[in-house]
Amino acid sequence: MRETDNLVLSRPLACLAAAAALFAVAMDGAFVGASAQTAEGVIPDFVGVWDGGGRVRRINGPNMPWTPDNFPVLNERALAYQEVFDEAIAPKYDCVPSASPALQYDPYYMEVVQWPDRVLFRYEKDDQLRTVWLDGREPPLNEYTVQGFSVGRYEGDALLVETTHFVFDITGFDDYNGIPSSQLKRVTERYWREGEELRMTLTVEDPMFLREPASYTTRWLPAREGYKLNPYDCDAEDARRAVKYMIPKYR
Amino acid sequence: MKALFWISSLAAVVVLGLSVTGFPAEAHHNSTPFYDDTQDVEVIGTVTRFNFRNPHSFIFIESESEDGEMVEWEVELGAAVSMSRSGWTRETIQAGDAIRAVGNPSRAEGTFGLCCAQLTQPDGSPIQLVRLENDEVPLQLVALVPSAAGD
Repeated sequence: MRETDNLVLSRPLACLAAAAALFAVAMDGAFVGASAQTAEGVIPDFVGVWDGGGRVRRINGPNMPWTPDNFPVLNERALAYQEVFDEAIAPKYDCVPSASPALQYDPYYMEVVQWPDRVLFRYEKDDQLRTVWLDGREPPLNEYTVQGFSVGRYEGDALLVETTHFVFDITGFDDYNGIPSSQLKRVTERYWREGEELRMTLTVEDPMFLREPASYTTRWLPAREGYKLNPYDCDAEDARRAVKYMIPKYR
Repeated sequence: MKALFWISSLAAVVVLGLSVTGFPAEAHHNSTPFYDDTQDVEVIGTVTRFNFRNPHSFIFIESESEDGEMVEWEVELGAAVSMSRSGWTRETIQAGDAIRAVGNPSRAEGTFGLCCAQLTQPDGSPIQLVRLENDEVPLQLVALVPSAAGD
């Protein structure tokens, strides 16, 4: 049994949990049980809309967030893939969404919603929604998706997230370096608050392509009051439009 | 409208760039494989379409080449969700607008893409967001991150 299963909730928190549980049942009937609390019974507050754009951190690119200091050590298989990689086949040019570990560093806004049994990460980029389950459930057998399957737990003032069950992705490491990721990719994230900032350290492991884990740390700032995420509605025609501007690598 | 189209060295166009506003915003892809960042092109013409979309917006400019042929340039901008935070709307640029764009040309022969562009009125004066209430705000171009910026 998980440690969080034995916790006693404070009265207001219990009321909140009960209300959220009813809401969850109403939403999709998938609610399993309230377990979103730390050993002290207090959930760190990450709720809100967060700005991950250019005023907060350097824009992503071939050397960001993967700088020469934290760039992953690639194995021979990854180097071979990188050698033959053709930018034109990158799935993003057909509006396939960005995934971990790139999605978190894409320079867009993000919203965090906390329920008793899950944390929801909504990304303005690609209209993505990640559900982090806090109720101890196991990943579905043989089910692999772009965003994988995430479980989490609170530890002190931090939220720890572990994601597995990613589908193979030819650009699954980032959008710039032609490094794929496999079904063995495992991404761990640690979120915590520092003043008004939301911070995260992300570590990616993939023994199919990386010799050792690679990590980066980044931050978000609160969005302006009242800001709501806008729909992305990726347009496939304009996503691929620029591909013809490249000199083709293969004919 | 008589259009002008020329290619210069990067150093020569830096002077032109000083008179306009622009900033890199979000990155969906690196510009280097698509555009030649050692060259700049000036395009003056008429807007035929403005796609205010994600992951990239595009302005289409019909312009007459030095050979007298009409060419439609495709000026790649940033994501609509990011541009909207700078005051852009799908009405900011409209078909029929006269416009000048200076930016990096696309690499593949026979294509007319333009990246990282600075947009102005045809005479070089700044474009204002005249269709918004706050028309004192100068138009700010959201473009790809130039590789020269160290991305």
